[in-house]
Amino acid sequence: MTALLEVRDLHTQFNTLDGVVRAVDGVSFDLARGETLGIVGESGCGKSVTALSILRLIPAETGQIASGSIRFDGRELTGLDEEAMKRLRGHHISMIFQEPMTSLNPVLTVGTQIAENVVRHLGVPWRAGRERAFEMLSLVRIADARRRLDEYPHQLSGGMRQRVMIAMALSCDPQVLIADEPTTALDVTIQAQILDLMLELKEKTGTAIVLITHDLGVVAETTERVVVMYAGRKVEEAPVEALFEHPLHPYTVGLMRAIPRLDVEADIAGKRPRLQEIPGLVPILTRPIIGCAFAARCPLATERCRTEVPPFVDAGGGHTVACWEVTR
Amino acid sequence: MTAYIVRRLFATLPVMAVVAMFVFFLLRFAPGDPAAIIAGDDATAESIAAVRVKLGLDRPVVEQFGVWLWDLMRGDMGVSIFSNLPVTRLIAQRVEPTLALSLSTLFVAVALAIPIGVVAAWKARKLVDRLVMGFAVLGFAMPVFVLAYVLIYFFAVQWQLLPVQGYRPVGEGFWPFVECLILPSVALGVTYMALIARITRASMLEVLQQDYIRTANAKGLATDRVLLLHALKNAAVPIVTVIGIGIALLISGVVITETVFNIPGLGRLTVDAVLKRDYPIVQGLILVFAAAKVLVNLIIDISYAFLDPRIRY
Repeated sequence: MTALLEVRDLHTQFNTLDGVVRAVDGVSFDLARGETLGIVGESGCGKSVTALSILRLIPAETGQIASGSIRFDGRELTGLDEEAMKRLRGHHISMIFQEPMTSLNPVLTVGTQIAENVVRHLGVPWRAGRERAFEMLSLVRIADARRRLDEYPHQLSGGMRQRVMIAMALSCDPQVLIADEPTTALDVTIQAQILDLMLELKEKTGTAIVLITHDLGVVAETTERVVVMYAGRKVEEAPVEALFEHPLHPYTVGLMRAIPRLDVEADIAGKRPRLQEIPGLVPILTRPIIGCAFAARCPLATERCRTEVPPFVDAGGGHTVACWEVTR
Repeated sequence: MTAYIVRRLFATLPVMAVVAMFVFFLLRFAPGDPAAIIAGDDATAESIAAVRVKLGLDRPVVEQFGVWLWDLMRGDMGVSIFSNLPVTRLIAQRVEPTLALSLSTLFVAVALAIPIGVVAAWKARKLVDRLVMGFAVLGFAMPVFVLAYVLIYFFAVQWQLLPVQGYRPVGEGFWPFVECLILPSVALGVTYMALIARITRASMLEVLQQDYIRTANAKGLATDRVLLLHALKNAAVPIVTVIGIGIALLISGVVITETVFNIPGLGRLTVDAVLKRDYPIVQGLILVFAAAKVLVNLIIDISYAFLDPRIRY
């Protein structure tokens, strides 16, 4: 089966006063129809830039896709003209963002913001667009949806606004939903509700989801397959169970150790283990990275790691990793 | 909303009362004796005193104020010291040209400035933007009277496309009316156009950085909808504010423009009345201008609530 979305050797760069920043440095992954893929990594690893690159939303003044290929449903997106991209965005591929507080337009009603998407892409009259907006608000379980249509974002809570964003993103039955840290700005209890809602809607609509997050807990609960990114590169990819049972890349292992765990007995005994951080800092992306990006912080690093980029090696069962040492 | 508008209307009353008091006392305590001027250069002390009694200027100031205020309530602003005509009628005769000039100036300024500002922000730092902003600096720096004479020289004298000066009431036909207004409106409007265009650009640039614009783009909306609805509506409050300030500044611009183009409006009436110390006319005019400003402010304040649903009073 061919993948719905194929990203191949994507390079996205930003032009800054300090030089060219290689925010995404050769990332490849596939997304199958109806699949939930997690992209995980720390801040600045290029997760969000990857997402914006897929929708070609990198502002031309600041950066560009330097090379690579993004194929959606067999169609190459990197060379597509802007008008064709606009017909794709919000219709076949839609996106929700981290900040529900600022991602909705404060001076337009919720109903207008959903309806305009429907009217734009499905070519229905405004009245039908409003009706679709009402259906979508009901679908994301906003109570009293009819009245909410005429409300403005500031009249809604953070969780409700993210529900509105989801309703908007799914209003044209997209094939791909890219969710960039959709729950990071929300309270923990609301986070779980929003994730459950996204998964439930995915089951109903068959939309494939790319879930971008720094939160391994979210990844474990919601995704089927995970791509781990570090310094603009993919370092490991695996089905979610395999990743959590046998993390291979030293960076992934480090991330797992850095998850705080609730251990009441250890707390009572006063023997709570210290949280392990990964030593060192993320490399500066204005300089080309020679060898493995993680080498400077890696406990296993050898001379070869600092000079040669490790290739991806299949560890079996769809689990691939780019590391000289663990695949030796 | 209606309750808010009514409340705001009532709130203008104390402002107007303060203005009335200020106007009255300011002119009473200003130097220069109108009685002496009216009586003439070779007047005796007795004839000056007689004029003073006739005008009520001999009575206590507080009493004069009371009488004046009572008359004002009934729409009587007194009579001109020189022409003996009622001030209300004199002002009413001159309102039309000034109103026509102000509105056409605003129309010229706003109708051009907002699209220019939006395009400049959209094409920020590109050639179009630099050209537009260059002209805006030039337009803002150009005094009204300089531009007025340049326009008259080319459009009226050299090419004879438009009248040199004068005013035709709208009752005498639409084209003659418009024809006379084009040059004064442009001369007066360029400054405001420059000001409004710059504010529009700055406000739009800020809004275009916002997350919700990225959301609008991620929805694949057409560029004009993103710019004119999603961005401009958010950018509108500063723009409307500056248009309001522009209307207030317009009043002094009108005086110059009416003089250059020989338009018989309130600006000319003001200049004449001040030079002759015709107190009743000056008072009436200041009150009319103040009321106009208060009204404009009120409209601007109310428009905020329409533009931004988060603003509620």
